[in-house]
Amino acid sequence: MTTTLHRAPSLLTRKQKQAGLASSAALLLGVVLTGCAGSAQASSSAVQASGSTTVAPVASDAAEALKGQGLKITVATQGGSAGGISQLGSKQIQVALSSKPLSDEDRKTYPNTDFVPTQIGADAVGIIITKEVADGGVKNLTKEQVKGLFEGTITNWKQVGGPDLNVFVYDKEPGRGTREVLDKFVYGKGKPPLPPQSANYAVVGGNLETRNKLESTRGSIAPLSTGFIEGRDGLVAVPLDGVAPTLENVASSKYPMTRPLFMITDGQPKGAVKQYIDYLLSPEGQKLLPVHGYLTRQQMGL
Amino acid sequence: MWGWVYTGMFSVVLVLAVLIGYLGTGIASGDVDWLNLVSDPSWSPVNGAFGALAMIYGSAVVCVLALLLAVPVGWSAAIALSEYLPPRFARPLRLSVELLAAVPSIVYGLIGIMVIRPFVSMLGGVPGGDSLLAAGIVLAVMIMPTIVAVSVDALSAVPARYREAAYSLGLTRREVVRSVLLPQARAGMRAGVLLGLARGLGEAIAVFMVIGRADGRLPGAPGVFFSSLVRPGQTLTTKLAGPEPMLAGTSGPYFAALCALGIILLLLVAAATVWGTRKSSNRPAKRGLRGHRAAARMRIPRDRLTTALRMAALALPGALLLGMLGILLTRGGSALNPAFWFSPSTGAAGGGVRDQILGTLLLLATTALIALPLGYAAGVLIGTRATGKTARVLETLTVAIGGTPTILLGLAGYVLFSSAMGWGRSWLAGAIVLVPVVVPVIALTTAGRIRSMPPEITESALALGLTRAQYIRSVVIPYTWPATLTGLLLGLARAAGETAPLIFTATVFFGAPALPTGIVNAPVQALPTHIFTLSQDSGAPEAITQAWGSALVLVLITAVLLSLAVALRNRFEGARRWTT
Repeated sequence: MTTTLHRAPSLLTRKQKQAGLASSAALLLGVVLTGCAGSAQASSSAVQASGSTTVAPVASDAAEALKGQGLKITVATQGGSAGGISQLGSKQIQVALSSKPLSDEDRKTYPNTDFVPTQIGADAVGIIITKEVADGGVKNLTKEQVKGLFEGTITNWKQVGGPDLNVFVYDKEPGRGTREVLDKFVYGKGKPPLPPQSANYAVVGGNLETRNKLESTRGSIAPLSTGFIEGRDGLVAVPLDGVAPTLENVASSKYPMTRPLFMITDGQPKGAVKQYIDYLLSPEGQKLLPVHGYLTRQQMGL
Repeated sequence: MWGWVYTGMFSVVLVLAVLIGYLGTGIASGDVDWLNLVSDPSWSPVNGAFGALAMIYGSAVVCVLALLLAVPVGWSAAIALSEYLPPRFARPLRLSVELLAAVPSIVYGLIGIMVIRPFVSMLGGVPGGDSLLAAGIVLAVMIMPTIVAVSVDALSAVPARYREAAYSLGLTRREVVRSVLLPQARAGMRAGVLLGLARGLGEAIAVFMVIGRADGRLPGAPGVFFSSLVRPGQTLTTKLAGPEPMLAGTSGPYFAALCALGIILLLLVAAATVWGTRKSSNRPAKRGLRGHRAAARMRIPRDRLTTALRMAALALPGALLLGMLGILLTRGGSALNPAFWFSPSTGAAGGGVRDQILGTLLLLATTALIALPLGYAAGVLIGTRATGKTARVLETLTVAIGGTPTILLGLAGYVLFSSAMGWGRSWLAGAIVLVPVVVPVIALTTAGRIRSMPPEITESALALGLTRAQYIRSVVIPYTWPATLTGLLLGLARAAGETAPLIFTATVFFGAPALPTGIVNAPVQALPTHIFTLSQDSGAPEAITQAWGSALVLVLITAVLLSLAVALRNRFEGARRWTT
């Protein structure tokens, strides 16, 4: 009986060989097709844009508007601004959306990429607190107070003149443009310290997620683009060192956490990419910025 | 002669080789201070600090919490299902449990955000609710069906004559279970727990959505341990699913440290998988009839109490299933409207999910096309080497690949296809990354079926003088294809809900065409990533409605694949009766 069991498999071989040939042929064909498709697609494929969740809504609206002209543009936000820059550096995308300026380090990391940033507008990062805290007496925060809050040394709102309520910090994950603007405001050129060991500290990613969690958490604070809290009654952008993130203060760069918004390309934009960026710079495209609470190039005096 | 069969198996091994190669070269590209990695809790790439203790601790706490919640309930429910319920109730219930085990983890993540996070926030009186505890609960709900399903199998494998003998001795049901069934089924039930543990350790997205992702957090003192459970944390998988693999580039100490995390994760999951699936049937149950001390008193009341407890435990998964279905149906009602299925999405959260459905189906179909020949070939090889030690090694390898954390497959695919080969985001890269999820399931079901071929069939075929080709065509293929297809469908049902690998290799949130026109830079949209982005990023009611609707569609697609698999399985049970 056992011998039969062992012989049975050997009987399988011929059919298997045929099927094997067939499947290898299919696989080979697949590989060849892949290669062809690859070379054929390189020129005519859609424009890939990825990066900052701050820039993404404007980028998506512009892409939607250009659909009518036959332009295919995809927008993703994996990894935030730094994710976009690193994907552009490794030639995976054609346009990086960034809510932070390029650093020398970025250029050093990707020496083969000729980063060309185009500013499409500007935005202010607010230190966002809940209405309950603002109404409770927190009408202004100094740089030192912001530092204390995000480093976990200030743990109750009454330490900064607010209600007796625990502080809950939502920090942005590394690589997010928003987070770098906060770091620059608080630490200047210095390096930010390790994340605090405080218990009331969580990490968030995109802007919508941040807003969602701010709204659902009592006593919370987070850095967030002020454009994202327009029309949200529960959230307040607190003035910093006495300067509120109003339109005038941002336009004059008096507000300390003002930041430019960029579309970054490898070399001067060409073809569909140029069409895309030109549209954003055109009067029509610029109208998209205020829709999301951002400032146009004109407002910034560019 | 065996060329293509070996190619099949080789492809399975290749997956592991690529994965280990990717992680290995990563580690080699920058010095990894392993001692520091496993002993230091501070992780700060900006400052060059790479200590992963907090992530290891987070993984451990979350998994222990999940097991503490899921194992007692799962085991009791399994006992109730197999020993207390009459077959006409047990059968449909068992099917429901198997369905629960196949619900995509992204759906559990969504339920985690909408239901469990607020629950923890209320329970602990803490803001937010993102916490280790929430992650533990989500994982417990996720792995419980696996534990129940495997334990039920182990219990029903105990021969009926054991039960009959025990009952005829006058033992109560509780005593029969305790002294006869459990010693026999213990190995199998333990395997269920380990498989659940492996799934929990490797799960990325469901945990990512509810854990809060705060780095470097260890409870400073034993006293604050319990309060730290309701606070945010980070696990090995959430670190890898976050933005950091994209920021780390492809060499240097940062990338090396992330790859080292991947190695630790892979080793933990592989250990749990291999330990859970090792052959334990040929070892005698170590402790046979363990003494039942003081059993004489209160036997009947104790029996009744246990019955009540076990039935209650069974009611829990049942309630979970009903609850989940209820939430999905009420919140995801938009999915019941045909327009939702057949219209494209508009803006961020409007319209339907046509493109996402098409993208998901495209990914599944491509995965199936690649995985079917490879899985079948690997299955033939394992099945026909049933007696050899090699077969056991191959089988273990296959199981290990099946249990590989998919986030690692995604990252390897990201580095290999998207970066090195310059594909960018590509649907084909996504499909290829899903292949290792499906191949092991096909291979194992096929191998099992080939092994169960009764020798008489072969003997009569030979006696009738069939040629090899005739023998294959009329005997072997009819005998194995239902099992192969069942395996394929089960594997696809699992692949349908994968999120983490697709985020890195294949999908975008906005602007991808319904069907890609090429391969390079040709992303698609898919249901799992759609749900992920919507539920994670936005508190807007229309986005949440859209997320629930998409979740219901995804569950329905998975359910269709599973029902087909079950129908096929029933059919091939019939085939077996016909052949013997």
